[in-house]
Amino acid sequence: MVDTGLLDALAQGLVTGSIIAAGAIGLSLVYSIAEVPNFAHGDMITIGAYFALVVNRPDEISLLPGLPGGAVSLVVAGAFALVAAAAFGALYELAIFRRFRSKEADLITMVIVSLGLALVLRNLVLFVAGSRNISYETAVVRDVNWDLYLTGSGLTVQRTQRQAGDIALLGEWGYPVWLLLGILAAAAAVGYGVYRWRSTDADFRTVHLVSPRVLGVLGGVATLLALAYALRFDPQGTDALWSTRIGTSYKDIAIVVVVAVAMFLLNLVLKATRLGKGMRATADNMDLAEVRGVDVDRIQLVVWVIAGLLTALAGVLAGWSASNVNPNMGFTLLLPVFAAVILGGIRSPYGAAAGAILIGISMDVGVYLLPSGLATYRTAIAFIVLIGVLLVKPDGLWGDV
Amino acid sequence: MALADFAVSLLTFVAIYGLFALGLNLKFGFTGLIDFGHVAYFMIGGYVTAVLTMPAQVTGYDGLGGYALPELLAVVPGGDVLGWLLGVAGGMVAAALVSLLVGVPTLRLREDYLAITALGIATILNEVVRNETWLFNGPFGIRTVHQPASAAFPLGLGSFILNLVVFGGLSVLVIAYAGYRVGSYVKDVDTTGAALGLASVLVLGGSIGALTQGGPLLFVGVGLAVAGVAVLREAVRRSIEPERTLALVVALAAAAWYFLQPLLAASNPTVTLQTNVMFLFDPVAGPNGGLDYDRFFMLLSLAFLAGGYWWCQRTINSPYGRVLRAVRDDEDVPRALGKETFRYKIQALLFGSALAGAAGSLYTIHLGFISPDQFGAMITFFAFASVIIGGTANNAGVVLGTAVFWAINSGTQFLNDYFPSEYAVKLAAARLIFIGVLLIVILYYRPEGILGEQDYDIRLPGDEPAPSRDDTAAAPGGDADD
Repeated sequence: MVDTGLLDALAQGLVTGSIIAAGAIGLSLVYSIAEVPNFAHGDMITIGAYFALVVNRPDEISLLPGLPGGAVSLVVAGAFALVAAAAFGALYELAIFRRFRSKEADLITMVIVSLGLALVLRNLVLFVAGSRNISYETAVVRDVNWDLYLTGSGLTVQRTQRQAGDIALLGEWGYPVWLLLGILAAAAAVGYGVYRWRSTDADFRTVHLVSPRVLGVLGGVATLLALAYALRFDPQGTDALWSTRIGTSYKDIAIVVVVAVAMFLLNLVLKATRLGKGMRATADNMDLAEVRGVDVDRIQLVVWVIAGLLTALAGVLAGWSASNVNPNMGFTLLLPVFAAVILGGIRSPYGAAAGAILIGISMDVGVYLLPSGLATYRTAIAFIVLIGVLLVKPDGLWGDV
Repeated sequence: MALADFAVSLLTFVAIYGLFALGLNLKFGFTGLIDFGHVAYFMIGGYVTAVLTMPAQVTGYDGLGGYALPELLAVVPGGDVLGWLLGVAGGMVAAALVSLLVGVPTLRLREDYLAITALGIATILNEVVRNETWLFNGPFGIRTVHQPASAAFPLGLGSFILNLVVFGGLSVLVIAYAGYRVGSYVKDVDTTGAALGLASVLVLGGSIGALTQGGPLLFVGVGLAVAGVAVLREAVRRSIEPERTLALVVALAAAAWYFLQPLLAASNPTVTLQTNVMFLFDPVAGPNGGLDYDRFFMLLSLAFLAGGYWWCQRTINSPYGRVLRAVRDDEDVPRALGKETFRYKIQALLFGSALAGAAGSLYTIHLGFISPDQFGAMITFFAFASVIIGGTANNAGVVLGTAVFWAINSGTQFLNDYFPSEYAVKLAAARLIFIGVLLIVILYYRPEGILGEQDYDIRLPGDEPAPSRDDTAAAPGGDADD
């Protein structure tokens, strides 16, 4: 019998971090470009999750009475949520924040305005849906466990699944020690090679679409997985020196992939389009950008629309991951999301993404390392990490870049 | 429930949250610290006072204490109240100490970072109280809250007539004084404003009357309501001083609600009116009538509010308060003048938190029990809304804002009677949506709040002879507050 361990906590942390990242990137865009420390971001996440519920669970929320036959699948509901949340994002900008910007409202005023918006959004949800917990109507996703046994002669991998109370073995294979070391070495070599290949030709004007470091890590991981899949040998026995279990599901993998794709698309917009250039210029200095012909109002509108899209994404993924949507979910996410943004330095969406992964991992690893009685302090861990970092580096890990 | 009972409960709420908001105003309005974790000190004050004054060995309570201060001091005359006051002092000190621990690391951060870290710390503290049963009994809370001097109530002075004259007369005097103050303020209203204001009150009153009748009159009521709001809008737009017109409308509506409505609606008009007018006198409390505990507690809370208000005014109108405002406006200026600004910020945090702690002590008594659920982050946001609606950096405005907030939030509870009971959640949400919109609208059209920043009666150096205004402008700290 194997138990879950640090590797499982890391994998779970990656999933948590991805959900936080979806919220944190949007918040950091709003923070740096629109210059609003948006305390309504959590409630924007909530309302995004509820948009999906409107079409996914019309029996619970009868907002669209004409919907024929009831529920649509979560994917379609998610798409609906994205569209609706984007429209709401535009609404926030046009109805509220553009007006306050034209009055040159200071940071404190913007904080309080976003607080008022948070109050409105949260109570809008309570007004329409009430305070009960609702979950999405989806297919049941079973966990798949990857049991790793490190024995004297190598590594054994078992794919298992809990079916009707018993653990069923889905597949078993292994790697001898020399192969294991070889695969690891190859992965490290490929990763480092990719990094060197991308970074040697760089001068100070080069703008990488994906930074060499990220590409290097991705290359290494891809090599590791490809070789590990291709070179499966016989099992090496299960009387292990060390064994651990990693529990994942297609849900977890889907969440990480969806967020990664969203991050890549945003990256594409920011770096490869004129619009993105305008956004980056506005983030640096709004007045200078305007002088150079950037239509700042349009940029701000786009920023709020993107923030709306990302909050809906975060909301739907968080609701799906937890199998539970309630009016409080956004507020519980707000603290880790803010922690991630501040940790990464508020001016950079890339820093926010990195901060989010770090916060997510520290939350789940922290819960694993702490005694079980302290598991309820999951959010508190994110905050203690944040306060610790702020005490040492008051501008966040990656500073004000 | 008679209207007077409801008004007493509302006033108690306003007094408690007013004290809480005064503490926030000291931090946010005068010193510029966005403390989104203000509710934590409210919670700490409430819990510490409750534990200090609670008898030891209460069944169903597994936390620290109780330390039974009132019983320890019972040998001294008035020891019951003295022990409770010591408990309140303990709650205030505990709140201030915790805010010191929070403030030392966080107050060096940027204002928006401070807001989110304060919110985070308050959430964590709430989680700690909820999860650690050994501390304050966790989610089950405290059900035995000590009520100071509760043995003396209902308080009677002797014969029925004496009680009637003393307590009833006192009530009438209070109402008369309030009427005099409001009257002397609205006396100067212009004729257009007065006429239109009066008309709007009449139309709105008619609308409420029609609405309560139900049936086909419902549509008449809705129509009248729309017309009344239009007239009110016109009154505010056309009058020379909209504040006075609005005050007239509010005063007339309140008077009609308090004095006329019981005559029309209640089954027993004279008794209801008598209860409303002599709101301090309860004829059925005790053998000969008297003052019941709810009324006493309202007076006690109002006394605390008055004390807090007086203290805030003194602080703000002193040279010390001027430094606080300078820290808010531009921290570099007082620092250049040799002020240790960090120390001032810490002190503002300590004092504001101590006021929140005192408010928390009163809150526990008003509710009769406490649990972590009552101290969510929403309470802080309500206080922010109150401060901003009434007037940031204005102590009187903060009390007014709290009154407006709670008048909207619980003063409209009577509307619940006209809807099916399952709509209660929706109505509560609708009120808060309205308050959120009001907050944004006020920030846009009148960012300084209803009353705006208050005047400060400080004599600036070189102010007395004032031969030329240039001297004052150049004087240190001369930030135009004369």
